[in-house]
Amino acid sequence: MEKFEPVISETIDHIIASSGLLKPEIALAIAFLLSIISSLFFEKKFKNSTFLIAVLGFISAFILLIPQFNDPQEGFFGMIRRDDFSIYGRMLILFASLVTGFFIQQHFKHKAIKRKIADVYSILLAASFGLSLLTITTNWLLVFISIETVSIASYVLVGYLSENKKQSEAAVKYVLFGSACAAMMLYGLSLLYGFTGNLDFTSAMHIQGLISAPKILCSVAILFLFAGIGFKLSFAPFHVWSPDVYEGAPTPITAFLSTVPKIAVMILFSRLCASWFETFFYFSELTFLLLVVIAIVTMVVGNFIALRQENMKRLMAYSSIGHTGFLLMAVLAFVQGNTDVLLFYMAVYVLMNLSAFLYIDYLESKIGDANIQSFMGLGKKLPFTFVGFSLIGISLIGLPPTAGFIGKFLIFSNVFELYSESSEFAYLLLLIVGAITTVVSLFYYLKIPLYAFLKENKSDSVIKETFTFQNCLAFLFCIAVVILGIFPSLLLSLLK
Amino acid sequence: MITLTHCLVVSACIFCIGLYAVLAKRNAIMVLVGIELMINAAILNFVAFGKYDESNYGGQIFALFAIVLAAAAVAVGLAIILNVYRKNKTINLDDITDLRD
Repeated sequence: MEKFEPVISETIDHIIASSGLLKPEIALAIAFLLSIISSLFFEKKFKNSTFLIAVLGFISAFILLIPQFNDPQEGFFGMIRRDDFSIYGRMLILFASLVTGFFIQQHFKHKAIKRKIADVYSILLAASFGLSLLTITTNWLLVFISIETVSIASYVLVGYLSENKKQSEAAVKYVLFGSACAAMMLYGLSLLYGFTGNLDFTSAMHIQGLISAPKILCSVAILFLFAGIGFKLSFAPFHVWSPDVYEGAPTPITAFLSTVPKIAVMILFSRLCASWFETFFYFSELTFLLLVVIAIVTMVVGNFIALRQENMKRLMAYSSIGHTGFLLMAVLAFVQGNTDVLLFYMAVYVLMNLSAFLYIDYLESKIGDANIQSFMGLGKKLPFTFVGFSLIGISLIGLPPTAGFIGKFLIFSNVFELYSESSEFAYLLLLIVGAITTVVSLFYYLKIPLYAFLKENKSDSVIKETFTFQNCLAFLFCIAVVILGIFPSLLLSLLK
Repeated sequence: MITLTHCLVVSACIFCIGLYAVLAKRNAIMVLVGIELMINAAILNFVAFGKYDESNYGGQIFALFAIVLAAAAVAVGLAIILNVYRKNKTINLDDITDLRD
């Protein structure tokens, strides 16, 4: 005991000194605890008190982030690393979570459900706590804890509000698939720990251990690791859960699941790639090969299966799988040091996806379902909605004058540069597949204006445009997407 | 004398049994049991490797956290399976197929 005494005071000093790094996370944690108390005791007296606490939590965490710019630091014995990349990532995460909070509140305002909505906000806070931890760490232990935090919170988000057969089925598929992938990832991590004796994946000891690890075991460990990451990013072949879960979950929850966890895990994944691509040994080659193959297969699977989807939510699920493939291409740009390409694409992706789901929710409340066929002839009755929705579709394809075009253009030009420098076949293949799948995506996104404006609807049902929270906010995002498409430097100069 | 190899072989066997249960069993509870076996195999690995990491005890700490997280995930999983049973009156995964392409 005596030999520990001087170490203990030093350790405590270090922990106290580095606790400033975690200010936004601490704000979220406090909001989480307060929201549980308020949903237990105050919800009956003051309606919406939990919602207000959640909103305040997100906003205060956001404000606490701003003074941390341009000040990269390490804390908690290297477990937590703060840099500008993580701050931008957390800003995106908090922004999207805040929008989801409002979305949930508006979605359930007019619905009679048996469960207490207040608890959903607590779970949302817990999920964004885990997500923001994920962006600032390079330590496998913290990575696993935060991935599990996010996973458990998302299982509850999907399962808690399930009211019919379909919704409960979505939850059970999600939880079984997710836990199996997490278990595989844990086994992979245990092997990686065995090879290296170190849990920080950027450290020299870790890289050294991977270099000297036996090839077969190293491949097994990396494949298992990719199973866990692949589940959260929903890249092929671990994407099979996402269409079912997206269809079964309530629309605001789907909007959350399809955007926010992807950003956080993508940040983690790009850090992993950046530190593992540096060497010329077997594991670097394997990770690079896996990244390229997965990106190609994901783009192909996502975009081609989306062609024959009738349900708008399933279509968006496959479309977001396709976008994951593109984001994996952006990781290659990130590895070369172009952080802004990845961040710009993620920011645009958040705007596009959130507004698409806001529109889907609005249309669901208007016409009862989310099938594309039911949009027939509605363009004239709901012009405000469908003009915006079509623009979002155009941006998701990646056509000018929208921000989706700029995002895809930046990725393509970066990968092309890489190809002209190294003339490696993998880059060329990525470019070709990316271009082909972009063309393919034209066919299903343009179904929205096709059905809404060009097809006639004989039935004379009375559907009138109303200005709700959903379509007004979605229209705002739509304007933002167009403005960013015409003046991309507004955001790019910030991210540089 | 039990060496590292013994531990690794046992954990690999447990992992394979778990993976087999996840892939082959159609009862949702049995799938959860399989997942639990896979997690425990990984935990065994961590503890076995942790013996050689005397500076940080990373493996042992990881094992503790993994046990806690596995328990939390299984609790949520069981609650969701109960919910499915109430709606569908079955937990056979082959019979729960409303959502598909």
